[in-house]
Parts: sequence; C-alpha cells; structure tokens
Amino acid sequence: MKYYGRRVAFYAITLWAAVSLNFFIPRMLPGDPAQILIGKLARNGDVTPAVEQNVKLILGGSDEPLWNQYWAYLNNIVHGDLGISVSKYPEPVWDLIKDALPWTLCLVGAATIIAFAIGIVGGAWIGWKRGSAWDHVIPFTALLQSVPYFWLAILLVYFLGMKLGLAPISWGWDVQTYDHPEWSWASIVDVFQHAVLPALTIVLSAVGGWLVGMRNMMVSTLAEDYIVTAEAKGLRPRRVLWVYAVRNAALPSFAGFAVALAFVVSGSLVMEQVFSYPGIGKLMITAVSNADYALMQGVFLLTTVAVLVVNFLMDLIYGYIDPRTRHHG
Amino acid sequence: MIRSTRRRSVVAAVALASSVSLLLAGCGGGSKATDASTSKAASTDKPTGVANSTRVLNVWAGSMTPIVANFNPFSPNVLHAAMGPIYEPLFAFNKAGSGDPTPLLGESYQFSDDGKQLTVKVKSGVKWSDGTPFTAKDVAYTYTYAFSKPSYIISAEATDDTTVVVKFDSPQFTNEFSLLGTTFIIPEHIWKDVKDPAKFTNTDPVGTGPYILKKGSVSSQAYTVVANPNYRDAPQGKPAVKTVRYVGLDGNQNAEDLVKQGKIDWTGMFVPDVDAVTSLGIGYINTPQDPTTIYTCSNADEGCTGAQTDKAVRQALNVAIDRKQINGKAFKGLGGTISPTFALLGRDDKWITNDDWKESPQSADAAAAAKILEGAGYTKGSDGFYAKDGKTVSLTLKSPAGWTDYNQAAELIASEAKAAGIKITASTISEQEYFDARGSGKYELLMGGVVGTSVADPFQIYKDWFAGFSTTKVGTPLKASTWNFSRYSNADVDAAVKAAASTNDEAKRKEQYAIIQKNIVDDLPYIPVIINATQTFFNKKDFAGWPTEDDLYQFPPSWGSVSSGVILANLVPLS
Amino acid sequence: MAEHETTGEDVREAHLVTAAATTVDAADVVVDGLPPDLPDAVGDGSLAAAVTGEPATAERPRSRRRDLMPSWSPKLVVGLVITTVIVLFAIIVPFFTLDPNSTDYDGLLKPGEQGHLLGTSAIGNDIWAQLAHGARGSLLIGVTVGVIALALSVVFGIFAGYLGGWADETLSLITNIMLVIPALPLTIVLAAYSSSRSMWLVAGVLGLTAWTGSAIVLRTQARSLRARDYVLAARVAGEKSGRVIAVEILPNLLPLVAAQFLFGVIFAILGEAGLSYLGLGPTDAVTWGTMLYQAQQGSALTLGAWWWFVPPGLLIALLGCGLSLVNFAIDEIINPKLRNVPKATRRVRKARKHEKHAAATTEEAGA
Repeated sequence: MKYYGRRVAFYAITLWAAVSLNFFIPRMLPGDPAQILIGKLARNGDVTPAVEQNVKLILGGSDEPLWNQYWAYLNNIVHGDLGISVSKYPEPVWDLIKDALPWTLCLVGAATIIAFAIGIVGGAWIGWKRGSAWDHVIPFTALLQSVPYFWLAILLVYFLGMKLGLAPISWGWDVQTYDHPEWSWASIVDVFQHAVLPALTIVLSAVGGWLVGMRNMMVSTLAEDYIVTAEAKGLRPRRVLWVYAVRNAALPSFAGFAVALAFVVSGSLVMEQVFSYPGIGKLMITAVSNADYALMQGVFLLTTVAVLVVNFLMDLIYGYIDPRTRHHG
Repeated sequence: MIRSTRRRSVVAAVALASSVSLLLAGCGGGSKATDASTSKAASTDKPTGVANSTRVLNVWAGSMTPIVANFNPFSPNVLHAAMGPIYEPLFAFNKAGSGDPTPLLGESYQFSDDGKQLTVKVKSGVKWSDGTPFTAKDVAYTYTYAFSKPSYIISAEATDDTTVVVKFDSPQFTNEFSLLGTTFIIPEHIWKDVKDPAKFTNTDPVGTGPYILKKGSVSSQAYTVVANPNYRDAPQGKPAVKTVRYVGLDGNQNAEDLVKQGKIDWTGMFVPDVDAVTSLGIGYINTPQDPTTIYTCSNADEGCTGAQTDKAVRQALNVAIDRKQINGKAFKGLGGTISPTFALLGRDDKWITNDDWKESPQSADAAAAAKILEGAGYTKGSDGFYAKDGKTVSLTLKSPAGWTDYNQAAELIASEAKAAGIKITASTISEQEYFDARGSGKYELLMGGVVGTSVADPFQIYKDWFAGFSTTKVGTPLKASTWNFSRYSNADVDAAVKAAASTNDEAKRKEQYAIIQKNIVDDLPYIPVIINATQTFFNKKDFAGWPTEDDLYQFPPSWGSVSSGVILANLVPLS
Repeated sequence: MAEHETTGEDVREAHLVTAAATTVDAADVVVDGLPPDLPDAVGDGSLAAAVTGEPATAERPRSRRRDLMPSWSPKLVVGLVITTVIVLFAIIVPFFTLDPNSTDYDGLLKPGEQGHLLGTSAIGNDIWAQLAHGARGSLLIGVTVGVIALALSVVFGIFAGYLGGWADETLSLITNIMLVIPALPLTIVLAAYSSSRSMWLVAGVLGLTAWTGSAIVLRTQARSLRARDYVLAARVAGEKSGRVIAVEILPNLLPLVAAQFLFGVIFAILGEAGLSYLGLGPTDAVTWGTMLYQAQQGSALTLGAWWWFVPPGLLIALLGCGLSLVNFAIDEIINPKLRNVPKATRRVRKARKHEKHAAATTEEAGA
C-alpha cells in the first residue's frame, strides 16, 4: 500500500508542478495581447476606434498581481473552468477544445494506431525472417524517420494533392457540400478522404520507430530458450510466431504506444497547419501566436493530464503484474 | 417572402439533418452543438446547396481556423461577413479611387463651416433584415451607443425619420471617413437589450446589408450567408449571388492551391507567381495601397537607442537601398513606387507639394550614402563598415516570421546596406515579439507597414504616424488610434497637423502639408521602401461584376471591410 | 505559425519510440519507478530480453569491453559513409563557395544557370553555397545539442539511478515534469527571450528540452548496474560515488550513451528545422532549417523551384538516416543477439539448403 501511496504522491506533485508551469510559462511569453490583436487587425485594413476600445476592455483586465491570478487559475481548474479564450473572445476555452478534440483524436489517434499496427506486424515479420533480405527494409525506415515532418507534408500536398489530385488538401470535410459533417454514408466517406493525406504524413514518419523496435525485440525473443524449446517440441512455426514470439516481443512496445496515444490529445501541429485541419494542434498555434494564455493553458492541461493518467495506469498495471515493483519502487 | 413556402417544405428534412448532426459527438463532431445558433437551426432553413440551385460563391477573407461565430461589429474577433455584407455604414468610401463616396444607408451629408456639426440625410423605406423599418433614430443611436461612441461626439439626434445631426466638441473634418465610412449602423430595437456588448457574439445578426447569416451554417471551417430578402435593392434582384460561403484556411499556400483548384472564388492574398494562377483563367487585379517602410526608433529624446537615432544614418540607408531590386525580388515586381511624402502616387498626386519628393530613389547609390555618412563624421573601418567614436554602425532589422515579403526585403536591405558600409543583420521574430517591439519602441529597425489612407488624402498618416502627440516614450505602449511607432516628434510637424485638421480649405491644407512633407522627407523616421501589392484573385468564369482596372468602383480584396459588401451586391452569376 | 512537430511533443514521442528501438525496455522508459532488475515480470522472460546484454555485462564486465568495438556490418559502413561525407561536406565545401547571404545574383535561376550549381533562391542567394554553409550550421547545432542533452541526461539519468533515495526521487521528479510540459511553448519562450537568436542560443534551447527521454533510459540502466556485484564491491571498498560512476558504470553504458548522443543530434537537426519553420531559427547563421523555411515561405514548390526546397530536406533526412544506421550498429553491440541471431539463422538456413541439396543429390544418385 505504501507503494501506491508514494506513486499517488509522486503524480500529485508532478501534476501540480506541470499545472503551475503551464500558468507561468505563457506569461513569460513576450508581448502584450492587446498590441498583438490590434496589430493583426490593422494588417487587414482599418481598426475602428470602437473595436480598439473593445480590445483594451477585453484584454486590459489582468492588472491583478500575478499571485492572485495564480490562485484564481488553480481554483478555476479545480472547478473545471478553463476560462475564456482571448483570441476567439468570448468563446470559452472548453468549447474550443471540445470542438477540436474529436478531429484530433480520430485522425492523429487513427494514424498512430495504424503506424503502430504496421510497425508491429512489419517488425514481427522482419524479425521472424531475420537474416533474410527483409533486413534491408530497416535502413529505409531510418530514412523515413529522419525526414522533416513539414517537408514531407508539403511534398505530399504538392504531388498527391495538387499534381495528381488524388486526395483533398485542406479541411476535415468538404465545406462546399456539408455545413457540418453528417451521419450519412457520403459524408463519412468525405471525412475519410480528407483524412488521407494528413494521416499518411503521420504514418510515414512514425512507422519506422515502431518497426525497428519490434524487429529488434523479435530477434531477441526468438533466441530465448522457451522459443527454442517450443520449436524443438515441433510446434508449428506459425504458432510459435504468433503465440509465443510476437505476443511477448510486442509487450514493451505497448508501453510506448500508450504514451504515444496520450500525446495524441495534443494534436499534430504541423499536419493540422499544413492541411488546415480543425484539431487541437491548430488551437495551440492560435494560442501561441495570439498570446492567448487561457487557451494555451487549456491545451497544456489536456496534454499533461492525459500523459500523467496514462503513466499512472501503466504504473498500476506493472505494479500489479510484477509484485517486486511495489517493494523496490 | 417568396421563400417562405419553400422554407416550410424544407423544415422536416432540416430538423432531421440537424438532429443527426447533433449526434455527431464522435468523429467529426465539429458542429457547434452548444451554440445558440444551431439549436435554432432546426426551425429555420438550412441544408447546404439546396436553398439555391445557383452557384455558391466561396470566399477566403483571411480567416484562420477554427472559425468561431461572432457577428458583433464592435468585437475584434468579428467575422468578415458582418462588415459590409451584413452590417453597413452610411457611405462606402473607395480606397482605390478618388471619387465621392457611394451612398449606402446615407443619402448625403454636410459639415458645418466650423466642422463641429455634421448633418446626414439617410434613405427612407429601408428595412432591417427582420422586417423592422430602419430610421434615422437607429443612426443617432449608433453614434451615441456607449460602446462605439467616439469621445469627440457631444450628441447625435434624429430630427426626423431621415435626418441626423451630430455635434462635436472640435472640428472633425478629418474624421469624415471614420464617422461615415466605418461606423456600422446597428438596430436600436435589438441592441438596446444587449447586456454585455463586449461579450455579445450576435449569432443571429440583424442588419441592413445584402446578406443575412444562414442559420446553423457556422462550423469551425466555414460559414455561409444568403441573400437578405428585406434588402433595399432586393426588388432589383440584388444581390444576384444568392449564397456566399466564407471559409477558414491556415496559410496562403493552402489558399493558393484551392484557388487553382477552383474551390475558392474570391480572395485577397499575396501570390508570388501570378501567371501560374491567371493562366488557369482566374481573374486578377493588383491595387498597391499600403506603404512598406523601415520603421526606425528615431528619437533619442524619447528613449531610442542605436545608430539609427542619427539622422545621417537614416538618410544614408535611404539612398543605399535598391528599391528596384527589392520590388523585383521580394515583391515579385508587384509593388508600387513610393513617395517619401506618403501620398499615394496616382491617387493623391495633388497633395505632393514639391516635385523632388515625388518618388524615393529607386536604385542604390553607395557613393551618396558614403558622402552623407562621411559628412556626419563617420569613417570607414578596416572591416568595411562605417564607425563613429569607435562605434561601428551595426543595426538589427527585424521582421515577423512568415511575412515572406518583409523577410525577403529585410535580407535584401541587409545585403545592400553592407555594400554601403552599414552593417545590418536581418532577423525574423515571432509576431508577438514584433508587435511588442513596435508598440514599446524597443527596437532599432523593423520592417513595417504604414496603413494607407482610405480617402484620397495622406493626412491620416501625418496625424497618426508622424505627429509627436501620437507617440509615447520608449517602454510605454501607444495610445489607441495612434501609430507613431518611430517615436518621431517635431514641433513644426505637430503644429502643421493641428492647423490642417481645423480647415476644409484645400489651399490652406496644402500649405501645412508642405511643412510636414519637408520635415519628414528629411528626417525619415520611416524609411519608405515600396507600396505593397494588394492582390485579388476572383472567379471570372462563373461571376461577373468584379472591380477592374478600368472600373475600380471599390477596393477589390475579399477582406476589405465595407467594400466587400458593395462588391458582393454588385456581382452577377454567369450561367 | 506552423509546423512545430519536430520541435515539440512529437520529438519526445520519437524518443520514447526510439527507446524501444534501442532495445532498452520500453516499459521502463515510460513508466517511472519500475525496478531495474525486473526481468521476467511477465513470467516468460520477454522483458528480460528487453534488457539483454546486461546479464552478460554483469558477469564479465571488463572482458566485454573488447566487444564494445563495433563490428563492420553493412549498416554501419553505409551509415558511417553517409555521415562522413556530409560532415566533410560541411567542413570543406564552405571554403570554396560564394557568399551564402549575398543577393547579388538573379532570383530563381535554375541549377546550372549562370554558373550556379544548384540555382538561386527567389531573392538571389546561391543555393549550393547555402547548402554547404547550412550543413555547417545544422551540424554545429546538432553536436552542441547532443553534448548538452547528454550532460543533462547523465546527471538526471545515471546519477539519479545510481544514487537512489531522495536524490533519485528529486531528479526523477524533474525529469518527469519536463517530460509532460509541452516542449514547444517552452522552446518559444526561451527562444523569444533573447532579442537576436544566435545559433548557440537555439542550440541551448533545444538542448534543454532534448534530454528527458535519454535520462529515463539511462536511469533504468544505471539502477540495474548499481545492484551488480562489482559495483557493490567498489562501493563497499569506499569508492566515492563520482568515481564509481565514472569508472564502473559509465564505461558499461558507453554504447547506450553513444546511441543517446546520436539521437540527440538527430533530434536537434530536426528540431532546429522545426523551430526555423516557425521562424524561430537562428538569425546569425544559415542552416538547413532556415533554408527550408525560406523556401517554404517563398512558395518554392509553386514556383517550380524544387532545387530550393528539396535539397535541404533531403540532406536532413540523409544525415538522420546515416546517424540512425550507426545507431543500429550500436544497438547490435548493446544487444549482441541482434547481430548474432540473424547471422546464425542465416547459417542455419544455408545449412538446411545444403542438406536439402545434398539429400536431393543423394536421392538423385540413388535413383
């Protein structure tokens, strides 16, 4: 029990520290939000005095001492109030996140799962076929992994989207057909089509890591005594592969996968920007470029909590399956 | 009311569709289920592309995603369609030409001789989009509405249904555009019940413009406006384009691609390779409007530091840069020639008081720069850069990351200045750093725009950008509506600006302008570089009536406030 | 604003992912607080496989050092060749190019036109010159970040793991907080602090956010080593902690540390590209990141100027690939099975083929 107590304390402190940093970091960003907003508005023509007055009214309210703001912030978080976005004033931060989250979860989540699945299956296969020509796939995954994300996305847009016209290049759905996505077959297909290029970008750059990790685990696992025994006993190779080797080799990858899934909630900044995709990463960009503290904090909080929760669950699971963890921890 | 029968038949289908869309909690649940506008959606007309068989006009006016419903014209986050297409001011001033303003809700206006009273005649028989009659009372209400009332207005009264008299505490000739051309008239019967105007998002806007918001059409990616059945010109079939969709996009590249694919019909944005777009049969017009300059924190008395506080350095830089090369490379030859008087060449020519000040030098003259610097006591060091009192002239020229033309211009200026013995480091910074530096005055050199005037007169620039009363000390942000980022302050200029403001007499104003121009051309607190291109791309295959070089009846880009409404009302779909 | 993936959270994911790739138990990488000697947690030795190499290390720590020298696998050769060529390119070529910042040439010249090997950018920079100087900038940043991240991960990983107790708790707490703090805004904040962003500042900022993944990996290993007999012996003999770490622990972790360093370099070069893409790259140097940024901002692809947009990205990918291949070779040192097993299998397969062949020939002969 002591173990769990310590774990809980550990996560509580981490959460508090992260939440506090989330408060202070944005405030260290240079720039007065009012100036930024007026500057941006002026880029597109005239700023009427009424609007300017309004900007100052909206953004001038934080003359409170930082300390008081901090307490109010903690208090609000405890009550589930993430505040009001400044860049999209007066939209509550929670509403913005709520609208963007499904897109990010579906797209980035699906892409992460696909990349993981391809990586695990492919890695298992290459590991199984160790020593064969399949090993030569590995260097190519190294190349894919090292390609700058945005560079790849832009090339995909240019060639697949513009030159070949294979897939839509912007938005999460076709705004010219649907005001909002609908539960119709055509609309769902449309949403899928719009996800093709963004998902491809993510899968291409993420698959390599899983693949190599899985392949290496497979190679190591296949050398274990119990596999050798199983083979010696004359079990069918297919059974050895799937039941004995893959299952065990994939286990460590799942822990990494869990964290990757936790980070899904933070969205994919590049991809959402390049494709004008309506997700969380886009909110983050909006927040950072407008010094929108509340929105920034909301997005940070979401990420922080997701990652901590996943880690905590992993802790519990490992604590359960390996009793020694609880004593040594 | 032709539409009412059809509307009823659509209701059932709509109710179904929107209840379905409410179910979209999972993937693609981008719909604003909590938004008031959607919950009402079920009871009014909705589905896309069904309401009208005619082609929908797709517009990108610069909105980034996510789009959030906000049609309050006083809000900084107001969506473009509110300004012009839905709400209108009294008159539409043409930024692109020098003619008289086009009457919208107004009919005529008259300043008193002392400039302290303005009498406006408004149109009769106009209705708000909810059917309520529009009267001069709404105008008076708008001018005195606590939230939008400028401090110089003493009172505004409707003397009858079509006449408004506005009184000021001082001569307001120079605020003609602001009062008549940018003040969106709001309906008193709606706004009197608005509790907190700052938080009011006005998701069910009632205006007088050619369009009304299509209920339930606002998503994070787009929103749609449809023809206003109560529009005053509706009997003449206006607006002929019945449905206009505004989309949100996150970058010019994205927008350019969509324009090429024919998915966007109207936009205003910078495209370096115009031919690649126009060769696809897409209409294009370039109306250079806004001066691009190098802001210099010029005034050591106000706290500026750095070599640029020396006039000689600014003057040397002014002749050292190769404007032709900058236009050719950074602005793809699309920019216009700038006048150091900041009068827009072509439109404001009559205000340029000395022919020598017509154009800034177009090619680099390193020898002239050297002469200026040496005359001021600078000597060239072994590193090839000028120095004075042991201090090398070394300046940082910043521009906001992503403002490509500025970034490239800065690189070119740095390279050109080097040839003239002035060390300039071009650096990009985030937008917030940029706006912060500009506002607080903590910078040496910034690439920066000056907001071009919306009327054929450079006065607004002199007053807001050059007057000493429009600036503050370094470290203190500027006051509202003042833009003197250079911290420039010159008693002669200040006096001339004040004198010019109190008269409507052209000759008298010109006398004052001569004083202002003489000083700013010599002092160069903003080193003029170029007039920035303002490119507009439009679909000329499916729609007619766009502004052209020959008939520049309004400022063409889709983001233009007021002008976009006038243009939309003027468009005709081609079958 | 834009594309920050490379600077932000995703890089961390990459770290976590690569942790698995280095065959260090990914579970440990992620879940703090697992015991170092957890093998067989799942009951069938699968996790033991993850920490392979260790048992052998434990038994014959010193004699194993001979094996730390890489063997010449094709992966290593290709990786080293790519890396060396790029490094030499960065060191030598910039002496012979035009001024990369000069804008005296015509804009958008095609490769070969007017003597520009790779053409020019929109404002007339020579691309070949930029590429060479950019290689220098990117590599310098990469190595600097690698060193900073390495130093930090050694402190927060090895010291924490070895010392245990409160020191461990505190250091791990900091590591974990750094892990969950979104790196992108932190990077922006740090980068925004200085008015002119020198290359070194950018490197420092990236270094500060690049070490957490490595620290967690190293900590797990250090904790595992701490319980080994020879380390215990040194401690009992009264050796100071610093000396034990330097003499007993670090040498055994060398391959792992080297791998983490190379990951740090890849992270930094991609991260620098990401920061530059946001317009927050270095202002006093040309790097591949700043080149990509300018190319993208200048609509290079739409203008058809592939020679401006493609080379920097390709070189980043190639360098990353080269370093990764070297890393794979290091993996094979950490986990000899990766090297030996495929070899053995290949031998077996060959032998079987021979057998079959032999059997077939005997059969033929018999017939």
